[in-house]
Amino acid sequence: MNCDESHLLLEAYADGELDLVRHIELETHLKACPACLRLSEGIAARRTRIREALPRFDASQALRESIRASLQAEAQKTAEQRPIRFPVAWQRWNLAGLAVSVTVALLAGYSWGGHRARSASVAKEAFAEHMRSLQANHLMDVISTDRHTVKPWFAGKLDFSPPVVDLADIGFPLAGGRLDQIDGHTAAALVFRRRLHTINVFVWPARDAVPPPSSASESGFSAQGWTNGGLNFLAVSEIPAADLEQFVGEYKKRTQ
Amino acid sequence: MEASAPTETSTFEQLMLPHLDSAYNLSRWLLRNPHDAEDAVQEACLRAFRSFGGFRGTDGRAWFLTIVRNVCYSHLRQGKRELPKVAFEEDLHGSPQDLGEANAQSWLEVKGELLRQALERLPAEYREMIVLHDVEGLSYREIAGVAEIPLGTVMSRLARGRGRLQTELAALSESTSP
Repeated sequence: MNCDESHLLLEAYADGELDLVRHIELETHLKACPACLRLSEGIAARRTRIREALPRFDASQALRESIRASLQAEAQKTAEQRPIRFPVAWQRWNLAGLAVSVTVALLAGYSWGGHRARSASVAKEAFAEHMRSLQANHLMDVISTDRHTVKPWFAGKLDFSPPVVDLADIGFPLAGGRLDQIDGHTAAALVFRRRLHTINVFVWPARDAVPPPSSASESGFSAQGWTNGGLNFLAVSEIPAADLEQFVGEYKKRTQ
Repeated sequence: MEASAPTETSTFEQLMLPHLDSAYNLSRWLLRNPHDAEDAVQEACLRAFRSFGGFRGTDGRAWFLTIVRNVCYSHLRQGKRELPKVAFEEDLHGSPQDLGEANAQSWLEVKGELLRQALERLPAEYREMIVLHDVEGLSYREIAGVAEIPLGTVMSRLARGRGRLQTELAALSESTSP
């Protein structure tokens, strides 16, 4: 790493936001470069002082009360306008019930038998990994919107090379990647964004593995799978199925 | 049927109102006065409540802050507010080094009030990065979600924002010192 590269990363380093590889590379550089080290200390002091000295403004009690009141009024209004309403709590059911549906579906999957069941269990696993990736603090091991950074990162960690594309031009920017496990195989997980949502694309070798299901859905999540060039692909997300289909169509086209 | 309204309201209150301080803080920093900030938060709450059925994610705070941010920006765009003193130029000029002059010793002595004034003089696009990261403690990834920009842009805006903050601070200290 040279000084120019180091300068670009010093703020993220002070914030503890660098991925492991770049963190180590930067620390190695700082040990050898007094100028960058001094810069780094200045940046750290500035960050600390900003954090200590800036006030956080809290919402006043009056604002809280006025918001509560306007929410009540709004709820009353909509209840009057639309007398027939869906039973509500399903929002939370959606989250809490996911575990239950995974279990039930898993049991159902076994009775289905053979190939199809294994293909379905691949989907289950992918849903679970997708969920976990949304909760985990580190969705990505390598954070980059540049496919030329993401692809080399996987080299040396995998015995296959996942094709990485960027779909930012159609609204699915690449956000990064990480290693994951699917069906007992080490898989590359490529992370894409759709506004506030996340799409995980799992990629693993097709040899000795069952093909992924061409489509599956569960509790608001959907998945679409395909096989190409000796690799299995499975895209999983909480975005609408039609959006996922658009994403998959474009992904396939650009990796052919 | 009527019972469903209070249930919906209380689910919303349980999931979103814990983030009211975060919402107000962002709004207060973006709009720079308590009155407008309260109006914007109130409006954002109603908007969030109305579209709550579409909320599927697990991160209520990020979802809520995105709405608050959008409301604040439309207030800013309405042109009622004064224009930022420093124009926002998206990552075009200025090397990252120009913010590297940070001197560890001199930063220890920076006064809080001066820092607050300096931050208020930054363009909203930089100001919000510092507020979300340094005051609210959001990660780069969370900020990327809230501001709907790529992670790399969060990283560069935050770095530039802190650099600009330092420049503003220097200008302010000069004008206040005898």
